[in-house]
Amino acid sequence: MNTANNIAIAVRHLAAGYDGRQILRDISFDVRRGEVFMIIGGSGCGKTTLLKHMIGLFPPIQGEVWIEGENLVSTQGESRERLLRRFGVVYQRDALFGSMTVAENVRLPLDEFTDLPEAAKEHVVLSKLKVVGLSGTANRMPAELSGGMQKRAAIARAMALDPRILFLDEPSAGLDPITSAGLDALIQQLAHYFGITFVIVTHELASINAIADRLVMLDAQSGTIIAEGSPAELRAQSPKPSVRQFLTRQATPGQMIKGVKVYECEEQ
Amino acid sequence: MSGIDTNTTGAQAEVQAQEHGLVTAALRGALDVNTMGGLWRELEARLRPLKVVTLEVDASALQLCGSGGLALLRYLKTGGFTPLATVTVRGLAENLDQLLLLFADEDPEPPRPAPPGLPEEIGAAARSFARDLREQVCFLGTMAAELAGACVHVGRFRWKEVKRLCIAAGANALPIVSLLSFLIGLVIAFDSAAPLAKFGAQIFIANTIGYSAVRELGPLMTAVMLAGRSGAAFAAEIGTMKVNEELAALTTMGLDPIRFLALQRVTAGIILTPVLTLYSMFASVLGGMLVMLSLGFSMPEIYVQMATQVHLGDIGMGLGKSVAFGIIFSAVGCLRGFQTGQGPIAVGVSATRAVVTSILLVIIADAVFSGAGFILDK
Repeated sequence: MNTANNIAIAVRHLAAGYDGRQILRDISFDVRRGEVFMIIGGSGCGKTTLLKHMIGLFPPIQGEVWIEGENLVSTQGESRERLLRRFGVVYQRDALFGSMTVAENVRLPLDEFTDLPEAAKEHVVLSKLKVVGLSGTANRMPAELSGGMQKRAAIARAMALDPRILFLDEPSAGLDPITSAGLDALIQQLAHYFGITFVIVTHELASINAIADRLVMLDAQSGTIIAEGSPAELRAQSPKPSVRQFLTRQATPGQMIKGVKVYECEEQ
Repeated sequence: MSGIDTNTTGAQAEVQAQEHGLVTAALRGALDVNTMGGLWRELEARLRPLKVVTLEVDASALQLCGSGGLALLRYLKTGGFTPLATVTVRGLAENLDQLLLLFADEDPEPPRPAPPGLPEEIGAAARSFARDLREQVCFLGTMAAELAGACVHVGRFRWKEVKRLCIAAGANALPIVSLLSFLIGLVIAFDSAAPLAKFGAQIFIANTIGYSAVRELGPLMTAVMLAGRSGAAFAAEIGTMKVNEELAALTTMGLDPIRFLALQRVTAGIILTPVLTLYSMFASVLGGMLVMLSLGFSMPEIYVQMATQVHLGDIGMGLGKSVAFGIIFSAVGCLRGFQTGQGPIAVGVSATRAVVTSILLVIIADAVFSGAGFILDK
């Protein structure tokens, strides 16, 4: 595999699914270094399935996932563990350890995988929390934080080992629009300050339009990519009406529910 | 003038002490949490002993600086290694420089709350005990009222759920109840065989087995097993429903969670505990009989001896106890489930509390029954 220097992740001919059921087939795309890349599509189209295969949680049926020039699918043993530590993941439900404080959550990877002195660990944790806007919460338990703060804490933990790539699964799920916009701003800042590459699974149109550099859109019926490009390009020029509809949030009257016809009311 | 090169994997620093307390530290390489452990120690070892008046950090040769690396720069800038010095950091990429400026202000973390002293802990424990007792009384009252209501409106009672619970908590517990009871009967027979043999009274093993299995061990061991197996399961089920806000959903639908969830479980407990207890008595006696047969006694001998000791009233006493134990373990399991707090560890805590409280209350109830039985037998 000859990956260009500016390619952070390369997915090649990936077929993915669970329990013998194939959900995605022949998925290929590149994620460039430092960009905010989004995986979008309707509910149940396999966005999270694709993400879980990209981070090595499940072995693909076939195909390859290259992360910074190393094949995640075929790499085994210690090399795989090292490769896994080169990216961070923020799960849909945050997955913060509820029995630990926020600081202990962020500190856990530092304790396990680095030789930093105690004072350094303490300062790294405080810096991470400051970067994500959570100063003053180090000694609080995750359950004491709001949804948006928990998401930020999960990002701080995912960033603990200074990964070059961050995967986020539905980061805006369950958040109000203002909090969600704040999270978008944070993602942009992290990409700007530290050159982190973001791969984000979402169907939040506001986030897609606000921060996505490029995206792929998955189709539930065919299990393939039906669009790839920047949101603006796809909104204006995609040959597929379904892509344009998704990105401009247009419903087709009467199409979604059989037997129910939507009548347009004339303005009075 | 002295010069030191610290060689770490990826991050390096050249520290030079000059005249008038001026020290320069030139950083280069990739600075992140994976590379800066050695660098941190080296800088600390070199800078702390020096009398630094001015520290100039040159970051222009840094190829990369992660958010972890920024922690080191911030530490240097805020005088972490050189408390009395004026520190400047220059040559940092523009975006990181802006970030470092934002970082310059110290945000003191609120201190951890001090651990409570002994009097506070005793007070908190007493208050918690009183609150728990009040909740138990309220729960028992509500349960009794709901049970009475269910007797009036039998048709509205969810018998299907009771059947499911009886299978899950009762029928599926048969193997473990059989094995444990059989082995306990066996152990008691073996243990009493040796001392009774000294008096030529081994035939009285039948009395020991019959009396203890029917009046004491059958009900008690069954209740303990059910408390550990099914009481914990009830607490975990209801606790998980609470964490997932299913209890809130029931309440807002106008359904009382106690009537909808606890009533069925307590009814199942009342039905299945005596049945399992009867089965446990039988298995224990069987275990003891096997030992007696191996000691050369015949079946009629064992039966006659056992019949002289164990009467129908004893079996009734055992089964009566088991009904009370069934109410205790199932009600406590439900109560602990309803008391589940927030967070992922809450369900585990509820299950543990359910088992501990159930076993404690079962043994207290058993003591009360034994005391009452002794007085009545006189």
